[in-house]
Amino acid sequence: MNLTANLNATAILAVVVAAACVADQPPRPEDLRGTSYAQPMQKPDFTLRTTDGDSFDFRTETDGVVTLLFFGYTSCPDICPIHMGNIAAVLRTLPPDVSRRVKVVMVTTDPERDTPERFGAWLKNFDPSFVGLIGPLAEVNEIQIQLNLPPANRYGDDDRSYTVGHSARVIAFTADNRAHVSYPFGTRQNDWAHDLPLLVKPNWEAN
Amino acid sequence: MSWWCAAQDTAWGWTWQPYVGVWVLVAALVLCRLLAESLWAPGASLDHTDKRGRRLPLYLTGVAVLWIAADWPIGPLGAGYLLSVHTIQYIVFAFVAPPLLIAGTPRWLLRHMIRRHWASNIARTVSRPLVAFLIFNVVLLATHLPSVVDGLTASQLGSFAVDMSWLTAGLVLWWPILGPLPELNPMPYPGRIVYLIANVFIPTVPAAFLTYATYPIYALYELAPPIGSLTAVEDQQIAGMIMKIVGGFIVLGTASVLFFKWARAEERREEGRPAV
Repeated sequence: MNLTANLNATAILAVVVAAACVADQPPRPEDLRGTSYAQPMQKPDFTLRTTDGDSFDFRTETDGVVTLLFFGYTSCPDICPIHMGNIAAVLRTLPPDVSRRVKVVMVTTDPERDTPERFGAWLKNFDPSFVGLIGPLAEVNEIQIQLNLPPANRYGDDDRSYTVGHSARVIAFTADNRAHVSYPFGTRQNDWAHDLPLLVKPNWEAN
Repeated sequence: MSWWCAAQDTAWGWTWQPYVGVWVLVAALVLCRLLAESLWAPGASLDHTDKRGRRLPLYLTGVAVLWIAADWPIGPLGAGYLLSVHTIQYIVFAFVAPPLLIAGTPRWLLRHMIRRHWASNIARTVSRPLVAFLIFNVVLLATHLPSVVDGLTASQLGSFAVDMSWLTAGLVLWWPILGPLPELNPMPYPGRIVYLIANVFIPTVPAAFLTYATYPIYALYELAPPIGSLTAVEDQQIAGMIMKIVGGFIVLGTASVLFFKWARAEERREEGRPAV
């Protein structure tokens, strides 16, 4: 009887330990639906103004927080509203312990038309927690080049109706302040719902 | 200039676009009917329900609703921007236009259309309720699969194929109710009512998926340039409700009409008058 009880206790302990080991395994970029970087990318160091006019040191303000960084503009007819809309929609469906640990930062590539008021109101339509950053286009392009993204370009001569060519990628920085994956246009809400709970896991530094 | 409405990568604009294929289809449907009326309408053998031109307004209404559903702006909005509009197109193609087209075609013309052996066989086969039920519901489910919607609606030919499959499936669905000539052994009223009610249940499957899914089902509409402040999930929920409520209302409404016709026919039979 004692032997049976001991065997049972050992088996239960083994299962618990095995489960704990699996749970503590660091997530792997290849488990995500985003595009993996061959080498994780360091978080860039830049400071721009928020739509409220405050100074925002990107590296300090997002330190240790999962951060989705995107470059776009409010007059964008498709990519920007779809990306922002999809991320906001999924954050609303995820448990608070996941959604509260995700910061979304969008940097405008059209500082001429995207005034703080306009940009702030546009972002609040998706989610009031989204952070909008504004700075001179040359500086914004420098940041994009640092991140291996193409610089933004203006197309069209009309000062009111021109378009801005820009990268369609959302870069995801994890809690280790590095980006292991990015998300191209075409990323669906299902993909975000699958990946965000993995991105907020704390042990990404093991990758 | 485009042939048929398909998904586009550009933002929606309220600028009119011509869709030549839609006009050709509408013109063909009207011309064929008028030509048949003038060439083949029998002179003496028409009963009071089949007098020349009597059913023409119904037929032309059917063609008109097809035109509205396929052409700008509903056509391109449904093909590439809003799933709710795509579902309105489905309702029109499968539930509104077909009964009008069948009811608007006189019996002599139906007889003329199925005079050939193969056509008569097809008419006889789809007059069987189980066959019509299967054809309609298989088309309904297949054309709402994500791979089919995302794959086909992106091209003009694919979008045309989906629209025409709805129209064909709609004609098959309504044929046992409105189409069969006496020689095709039409179902009695109770059978027609049961058949219609049975056809309410299968569409609830895609409708439920659309209404209750947490995330968008179709990539095409999720990644389409947005229109207004409607989110992809809200648009999908509206689509689900349209499919369930409007489609169900049309089918059950028709079943109710048939029920009263049946009751009236029974009354007439009891009174010794011929049923109409």
